[in-house]
Amino acid sequence: MNPGLRAVAASLDISDRITPEKVHGSLYTDPEVFEAELHRIFHLGWSFVGHESEVPGVGDWVSRRIGRDPVLLVRTREGEVTVLANRCSHRGVQLCAGNSGTTGSFSCMFHGWTYSLAGELRGVPQPVGQHTDAAALSLSRPGGVDSYRGFVFANPSGTAGSLHDHLGTGGRELIDWAADLSPVGELDLSAGWLGQRSPSNWKMWAESDNDGYHLGRLHASLWRVAPGTQYESAVLAGEERVVSTCRDRGNGHIELEFWKGYDKELAWLGAGREKVADYVDALVAARGLERAEELLWRGPPHALIFPNLFLGEMNLAIIEPVSAGETVHHHTPLLLAGVSPAFNTRILRQSEAAMGPAGFLLPDDATASERMQVAFSGTGGWMDLSRGLGREVLEGTDRVGHVSDETVNRGFWRHYGAVMAP
Amino acid sequence: MSSVADLTAGPLDTLDPPALDAAVAAFLYREARLADESRYEEWLALWTDDVHYWVPSGTADYDRDRRISFINDNRNRLTTRIRQLQTGVRYAQTPASTMRRVVSNIELLAVTGDEVEVGSNFVLYELSLQATNELRIWAGRSTHLLRRREGQLAMASKVVELVNASQPLPNLAFLL
Ligand code: FES
Ligand SMILES: [Fe+2]
Repeated sequence: MNPGLRAVAASLDISDRITPEKVHGSLYTDPEVFEAELHRIFHLGWSFVGHESEVPGVGDWVSRRIGRDPVLLVRTREGEVTVLANRCSHRGVQLCAGNSGTTGSFSCMFHGWTYSLAGELRGVPQPVGQHTDAAALSLSRPGGVDSYRGFVFANPSGTAGSLHDHLGTGGRELIDWAADLSPVGELDLSAGWLGQRSPSNWKMWAESDNDGYHLGRLHASLWRVAPGTQYESAVLAGEERVVSTCRDRGNGHIELEFWKGYDKELAWLGAGREKVADYVDALVAARGLERAEELLWRGPPHALIFPNLFLGEMNLAIIEPVSAGETVHHHTPLLLAGVSPAFNTRILRQSEAAMGPAGFLLPDDATASERMQVAFSGTGGWMDLSRGLGREVLEGTDRVGHVSDETVNRGFWRHYGAVMAP
Repeated sequence: MSSVADLTAGPLDTLDPPALDAAVAAFLYREARLADESRYEEWLALWTDDVHYWVPSGTADYDRDRRISFINDNRNRLTTRIRQLQTGVRYAQTPASTMRRVVSNIELLAVTGDEVEVGSNFVLYELSLQATNELRIWAGRSTHLLRRREGQLAMASKVVELVNASQPLPNLAFLL
């Protein structure tokens, strides 16, 4: 970030744009706010980078961004997963182009400096003239990198405290829940990613991914032609009849508890127990009857791990901020290790149906966000986020509302306001 | 545009090559026009009962059961796609984008019995009218498997390899 923008990011005060009931739309459109977010949320805080199963073998790498900074998620020779700047320490050329690959070392195209898989500078052509000690020229890496059940997070500044505390009990429960669906307790994110590019602000995606109010209206076209989904009882049956809830788990982690409104076990998979008997048996053997029954009913979670990880039922998504007015929403099917190929193919087909630029759901969400961006792009105005304020309740430290309530938006913005304070 | 070849006489591989070329080109142009004009029912009618409509996330050389695709439709899913567009509240195509595509570089890749595999390139201009009114450019290669059905051509398979298939894409809720 250039010094001018850094000064803005350090001093900008947005506290008058967030109230307990309202948020000002300029938080979606203001480039200074965006710069401040890159610093205060993505530099000073933890965000999701990738999953260990994406780089199963030594030398496997995938390309990601932390905020706007290109990084590599890499499996080192020692078998560790690390995060390195995708930027040569010499004069800054991006080391790896493309989305993913496998290599023995990273070699820069410009002058040929070579780095180990752990990012140490190992070779410099014409070394006699080399002045700075190679030890000082390793690829830079985030100050904090940590993982929880294979989910790798980074905190560039290294000042955010522990990942354990960032996730909190709420965040860890959500990740446990996703991983526990695998009989061997591991996800297998090997089906590749689709990116949806949208001229809209990244926070709209965090919110719309976790908005239980819009499904009946915005996605009406799908329910009309695909009746009988689990969403009918969970969210579409009418405000009075729907028993699903939404939950603010704290730290900006928010959740839609559709599972409470399912009308049968395995509703989320669209298959009865007899069709997936092997899976059921394996899950019961691995988790015990009680936890297995709970998982079979609930299926995968529907939640945001603040700021950029969406656990979207059969999908996992990364919300990548590009600019105030542009976002890429990347998703991959939430495949499970230790299940049959046919089981994972079923998940893959569901993921293709729902998500991505040609999915039956996501393009409509994109359109709504893009229209918000258009409508707020001038002088803008306030958003009302008060829905459900009179009926939400505290459960422990969580706030819980009707699935259609904006309890989750308020939870998101409360945490956002706290971390954005100068 | 009228069909220039009589396809009722016999299998496709018995036709004069120029007559088959012309029939194939006429089919591709018509398909493109129906897609451009979002004439969903007529476009759907171009398909055989078996459907393979695939927009891969890269080149079309991978196992569709192991890796994700933008579109990977069988008859059932394609019908859902079309019916959703026909509800009038598929907001990602409400209103429908205005589009025009140019189809060119048509090559017959294989002709066997009553089937012909044909490759072509396209460039498509899409005016995205749903939010931003942005003019978007799409380009790629299509591979069709066409089949003779009741004296006409129909498509059993269409694979569209976008030049930017490895990259994030904006809404792709129209007919490609
Ligand atoms: S910029 Fe990488 S070796 Fe010079
Ligand atoms: Fe949605």
